[in-house]
Parts: sequence; C-alpha cells; structure tokens
Amino acid sequence: MSQEFQPNQLEKKGIFQQSNIVDLLIWAFLVITALLVLAPTIFMFTASFMPANDILKMPYRWIPKSFYWQNFWQGIRGNNGSFIYVRNILNSLIVAAVVSATTVFFSALAGFGLAKYYFKGRNLVFMMVMATMMIPFEAIMIPLYLVTTKLGLQDSYAGLIAPFLVNAFGIFLMRQYFITFPDEILDAARIDGASELMIFRTIILPNSIPAIATLAILTFKAQWDNLLWPLLVVQSEEMKTIPLYIVKFMAEKHTDEGAMMAVAVIASIPILLVFFKLSKYFLGGAAVYSSRKG
Amino acid sequence: MSKRKTKYSIERKKAQWGWIFVAPSLAVFALFNFYPIFNALYTSLFKKKLLSLKAPTFIGLHNYAYLLNSPDFWNSIRATLVFTLGTFVPLLIFSLLFAVLIMSRKRFQKFFQMAYYSPAVLSSVVAAAIWLIIFDPRGLANQWLNLIMNTPGIDHKWLANSIMVQLSTMLVYGWKYVGYFTIIFIVGLASIPQSIYEAARIDGGNHWKNFWHITLPLLKPTTILVSIMSMLQCLKTFSTQYLFTQGGAPLAPINVITLNVYNTAIRDHRIGRASAMSIILFIIMLFFTWVQFRSSRADEISY
Repeated sequence: MSQEFQPNQLEKKGIFQQSNIVDLLIWAFLVITALLVLAPTIFMFTASFMPANDILKMPYRWIPKSFYWQNFWQGIRGNNGSFIYVRNILNSLIVAAVVSATTVFFSALAGFGLAKYYFKGRNLVFMMVMATMMIPFEAIMIPLYLVTTKLGLQDSYAGLIAPFLVNAFGIFLMRQYFITFPDEILDAARIDGASELMIFRTIILPNSIPAIATLAILTFKAQWDNLLWPLLVVQSEEMKTIPLYIVKFMAEKHTDEGAMMAVAVIASIPILLVFFKLSKYFLGGAAVYSSRKG
Repeated sequence: MSKRKTKYSIERKKAQWGWIFVAPSLAVFALFNFYPIFNALYTSLFKKKLLSLKAPTFIGLHNYAYLLNSPDFWNSIRATLVFTLGTFVPLLIFSLLFAVLIMSRKRFQKFFQMAYYSPAVLSSVVAAAIWLIIFDPRGLANQWLNLIMNTPGIDHKWLANSIMVQLSTMLVYGWKYVGYFTIIFIVGLASIPQSIYEAARIDGGNHWKNFWHITLPLLKPTTILVSIMSMLQCLKTFSTQYLFTQGGAPLAPINVITLNVYNTAIRDHRIGRASAMSIILFIIMLFFTWVQFRSSRADEISY
C-alpha cells in the first residue's frame, strides 16, 4: 500500500517546492520589469526638478537634492520669454475638446442609425465605415494637406480639427454598444409621441455614458498626442499645439535637459491625472479595440 | 388597410432617419478619407511640385518605376520592415509573458496592468524627449548597460551608431506599447473558461503543460490579432523616428516610409512621388489587414 502512495506523494511535494520558488521568481520578474517600464516616467519627473548638470551626472541620483523650480519657469516662459507655451497648451485643449465632442456626437448618431434603423444600403454604409478604418492616416496625409490648403484652412483651428470630426472606430464602437439596446423601449417612446431626435437625445445618449466616456477619452488622448497632422498644417507659433512646441523647444540651443523635462511633465500631467482617475476607460478602450473582428 | 399604410409610412420615416443619422459621418469620410485616397492614387501618376504654379504633367507609372529603382526608397522599405519585425516580435513575446504572469497572481493584478500600460499614456513626443536624454552619452542608458556588462566608461552610441539607433527606436516603441498589448492578452486570457483548467487538473496536468496545451492554443485568435495590430502600427511608425532625427540621430538607418513620405513632400516638394510612396505603404498595410481578416475567420474558437 505504502509503495503505491509514494510516487504520488513525491510528486505533490515536488510541485509544492517548485511552485514556491517559481512563485518568488515570478514576483521578482514582475516587480523588476514593472520598475524598468516605470523608470523613464519616473526619470522625467525627477529630472524636471534638477539642474541640467545633475541630470547627466554619473550615477544618476533618483531623488533630487532640492526642488529646482526654475526648470518649470523656463519651460513655460520659453527661451525668448514669449510664454507661447501657454497659448500652445490652450490650442491643444481646444482642438482635443472640440474633436472629442464632435467625434462622440457624430459617432453616436451614426452608430445609432446603423444599429437601430433598417434602411436600404445600410450594409453598404457599414462596409464603408469598416473600409475607412483600413485607410491609414499616413497614406492620405499629403492629399489631405492639399485639400486643407485649397479650402484655406491651413494654420487654423478649423484645419487642425476638420479631418478628425468623426472617425470610423468611434462609429463602430457606438454601434456595437447600441445593438443590444432593447427595441421595445424605443418603440414605447415612439408610441408616446417622441420624435426620433428626441429618442436619441433623451433615451440613447443618457444610456450610453460608458461608451461615450471611453470614446471621448481615447479621442482626447489621440489629439493631445497628435504630431503628424499639426506638423503639416500649422505654420505659425501661435497655432502650434503641445507636441509641436516640444519639438521646437527640443531643437533650441538654449534649452537644457531640466527645462525640457519640465515641459514634458506639464504636457503629461493632465493625461496622467485622467489615467489614474479613469483607468478603466483606458484599459477598457484597449479591450474594446480587440473586439474588432471581421 | 389604413393601419397597414401607417405602418408602412412609419417604416419609411424610420429609414429616412437612419440616413439622416449616418449622413454627417459619411460626408466627413467622403471628404477627408475617400477623396484623399483616390486623390493620392491620381496624384501618384503625375509629376507635381508643391507650391508650383506649373500644371502637373501626367507621367503614368513613372513615379512607381522611379521608386522601385531608387536605393533611397528601398532603404526605407528595409528600415520599415526591420523596425516592424524587430519591434513586433519582442512586443508579442513580452506582452504575452506579462499577461500570463499577471493573471497567475491573485493580488496586485490591477497595479501591474497600470504600471505596464502607463507609458502608453505619455505622448510619443514626450516619450522621445525622455529617451533622447536617457540615450545621451552621459545618460542612463550607458550607465545601466555598463553596469550590467561591467564595461565602465564605454559609450554605446545609442543615437549615433546605425545599428544602435535602430535598436533604440525599437526599444522606445516596445516600451511604449507593451502594456497596451498586455491588456489585450489579459482580455483574451480572461475569456478562457476556468472549467477547462479544472478538467485538466483532474487529468493531472501541471502549470507548464496547461500553458502549452491549453492556454496557448486557445489564445491563438488573440495572438493573431495582437500580431497583426502591432505590425500595422509599426508599419506606419513616424513620431519616434522623426523626433530622433530631429534630436541628431542619422536619418538613413531609421528613414521609415512615413518619414520619407513627409520629407519628400514637405522638404523636397515632390507631391507626386510622395503620393506614390503613400500608395505603396497603403498596399503593404492592406495586405496585412487582408491576412488578419482571413486568419480571424479561419480561427473562430468555441469552448
């Protein structure tokens, strides 16, 4: 009897011992890689409080000796003292906010239309939306630039905003969200005499806050980061957005590393705050995107 | 009779509203997506200069012929493919690894997800600004690599050496997006029912066997999705390469197609040639999208 039990017991013991060490190794691996991934971001924050000489000193001191606020002053003031960064931050806010609002509105409208109305050519429209998703912005940026110039919209808010008024991913996201919405509620509202627009405004919009929040945050973030389009369409200092300001600031002779990191911190703080407050929408956004299948 | 008529008109009215709801979006797409892509195709057949008052001259496929004979464009294709392969393979491996290990933990799952994802929250310009300082000859990258390899005082030329600068762009990109794909893998892992693992445990499988024989095969759709998505993203990379060259890195090793399109159009004013490049990029990406559609159809898994 005891001989029969032996191998089993040995195996159990083996797994137990192994899993203890393996467990520890997994924790160590996760913690070390997480710290490595976080290191550049932490570097940005600590370096923004250091004079340039300390930033490129060997070895790097992760804790600043004192808070060197001058970096932030120089970053906001700019090398020529024009404070144009403030204006550029405002531009980024305006563009990102307007684009988020229009994207949410038009995406919800079209997503609702595609999910809950049966009209001739609906499948064709849906296919067109999906096809739009396949056109990379990078492939159409030159003609887009020519169109925008032809319309006289270069170097203006309208030019920065126009190509992003709505996007196919947003429509897809909203359609997926609305498609499970019960038709009975809509029909009940119709019987009560509600118009289609009223249904959209009073029933659909208030009931799609999670989808709206996800789309709004993803869109805001995409615009906040957008480099390529502003690079093409903006010429004047006044119309630059944050990424363009950073590119210019980086290239200037009198910029030191500390001020550079201070500018980067200012650019990142709004998005980081939103991320920590509403991380579920960020993480959810990645998850939603993965549901995009044929 | 009259009831039927009203029902009919209600359906018609609803159909009209459907069109009204999608019309604004369709108008935007027509003007800012479909027109430009056809315009790019059309322009690619012309010799056209930006800001020039001369009428563009039709030259057929000459732009394409020129590009296919241009070492500079082939270098861009090489740079793009090297970057894509060199980035998406480690991305895939690490995001899968992170996802599996995070899901094997009972605690701190959320913390690790957020930690790995956090670089994706920073903008690409901010990321480049940070890494340009890290890659400085006196910067952190040299300090740490010398510490690990025990080679004090050596400058590894992260931004100057043509091989190193390619590795640097891959590192920045991989760092920025590994968390994003980790999340997608976690979603995929979470959708595998626990009952399958319980069945395997009764059959006497250990963790390692479970991973190879259950988790990995069931994750195949997610793996394909992540591969294609990361590949498509890498193929259109622009910001990192642009900012590195702005920061003083040599152009040739990292002159990816999008950067070449930008320079050809904006610096050299050759709109026709730049459009032809865009179309080639578009075709490459369409090919990968087609592969995705095909593979995601073929790999529907039911539990």
